[in-house]
Amino acid sequence: MMTKKIILLILVLLYLQTNHVSSNEVENHLVAEIDDPTIQIGSNFFGGELLVFGAISGTDLSYSDIIIRVIGKKEIASVRAKNRRYGIWINDRETLVSNIPNFYSVYSNRNINRIADSDLLIENEIGIKNIKLLTYKKDENIEDIFDIVRDKNRENKLYAENFTGVRIIKDKLFRAAIELPMGIKEGQYEVAIFFFRDKELIDSDISNVFVSKTLAGKYIYTQANERPLMYGIIAVFIAWFAGLLIAGITGITRTT
Amino acid sequence: MYVYLPIAEVSVNIFIIFGMGGAVGILSGMFGVGGGFLMTPLLIFYGIPPIVAVATEANQIVASSISGAVAHWRKAAVDIKMGSILLIGGVVGSFLGIKLFVYLKDMGQIDLIITIAYVILLATIGVLTFFEGVRTIIKSRNGAKGNKRKKKERYWIHQLPLRARFKKSGLYISIIPPIFIGIIVGILATIMGIGGGFIMVPAMIYLLRLPTNVVIGTSLFQIIFVTSLVTILHAYENQTVDIMLALILMMGGVFGAQIGAHLGHKLKGEQLRLFLGIIILIVCFKMLGELVIKPSDIYTITEVM
Repeated sequence: MMTKKIILLILVLLYLQTNHVSSNEVENHLVAEIDDPTIQIGSNFFGGELLVFGAISGTDLSYSDIIIRVIGKKEIASVRAKNRRYGIWINDRETLVSNIPNFYSVYSNRNINRIADSDLLIENEIGIKNIKLLTYKKDENIEDIFDIVRDKNRENKLYAENFTGVRIIKDKLFRAAIELPMGIKEGQYEVAIFFFRDKELIDSDISNVFVSKTLAGKYIYTQANERPLMYGIIAVFIAWFAGLLIAGITGITRTT
Repeated sequence: MYVYLPIAEVSVNIFIIFGMGGAVGILSGMFGVGGGFLMTPLLIFYGIPPIVAVATEANQIVASSISGAVAHWRKAAVDIKMGSILLIGGVVGSFLGIKLFVYLKDMGQIDLIITIAYVILLATIGVLTFFEGVRTIIKSRNGAKGNKRKKKERYWIHQLPLRARFKKSGLYISIIPPIFIGIIVGILATIMGIGGGFIMVPAMIYLLRLPTNVVIGTSLFQIIFVTSLVTILHAYENQTVDIMLALILMMGGVFGAQIGAHLGHKLKGEQLRLFLGIIILIVCFKMLGELVIKPSDIYTITEVM
């Protein structure tokens, strides 16, 4: 793993070097690499990290900024508020919210509000409060509901912002280890890297990583959802087997 | 050591789950109760989504009731005919229960109904068990020997149509009451993830007048098949049976039941009953708290797709 990283870094540097030689007036741009495009989650998954590194090239690279944004699959969720009725807390009517990423993380080398103006941040969905959520029917306090969705995901560590997570080395190379929490789901994740300078978006790069669940966890989940009847029968079969086994053991211990 | 539960979608400490299985297993071994009515609330308190807790607990009960039923089978203490009639009701009840469950889930109220059902159930059993314990202690102190109930008294319930002969129990009664009891137990099993023995056993003794020696075996016989069906229905309709969780619970249960059976012999019955009553009431109050205390989280977000 380590040697692979070193080789990649050398390649990136070589690439930059050749670019410098070929033309001095070359456009500013970005080359990035993701360490491991497939991340596996086992049944004892504690969370892991996604290594993103790369380089920026151009004429004047001082005051450059890098923002890395990772977004998971967009989902639809039902949001209900609890209200006190007859002395107990009961769920109220639901509001459907769509376009909710099941994971969202923004890493940068400094506060994103200093890197770019809010219009640009909103346009590129950079920052948790700029995640574009949608709803089917208009509700007066829909913005509050959107905020609740964002806050709840942040509490669950599925949404994160880290303004010191990107390290820029010698104005050229950058590196970030993006934390992947325990509750992350299987699927495709989009990794977007933005290269800013003087509050302007110079270049960007989008690639995908795939998070897969391995071992028993994935198998069980797939079976339960794709062959529910068979899964149920197998669950019962296992329980019968376990029950008879216990009865056998108990019978032996009682007779001896 | 943590394991990721694939269906519940949470990471849990395997020792805590094993310990809960063990603790409830001890109680089952001591009192001869299934323990589903304590296990499901404990799983919910630990953070397992209620719908997963209910479905998975039904799966675990299949295992624990089989091991119990085998022991009664060896003693020939099962009235198969009565068990089958109760089972017919149980099957009908399970199908009704799953329809109700899915309907409440779509309304977003299933968690609330599960909690309310538990508060009512635990309060009833807890109070009854507690006072039964107190009464027996007082009785044994006074040296009184009660039980003046006339065993052979006939109820109108027995006179209902569709009568059948139950040789094993020495009864000739209508099959309507056992079917009705089965239906109620089936519905409760589906919504609450319980075997329902604590309802069936008293109902068989006091309403149907079955001889006490066949009551538990017959009840377990019905529970095996009803909870098997409930597991399949939940897996099929809601995809909420977590095999991984069920397996850990089953393993814990095996150890617990062995310990419980040994402890049960050493302790006095009435004290045990008092103790069980207290445990049930504590769980009941905790459950009630979830209903009446302002939740830290007013909003619930559930994934639709």
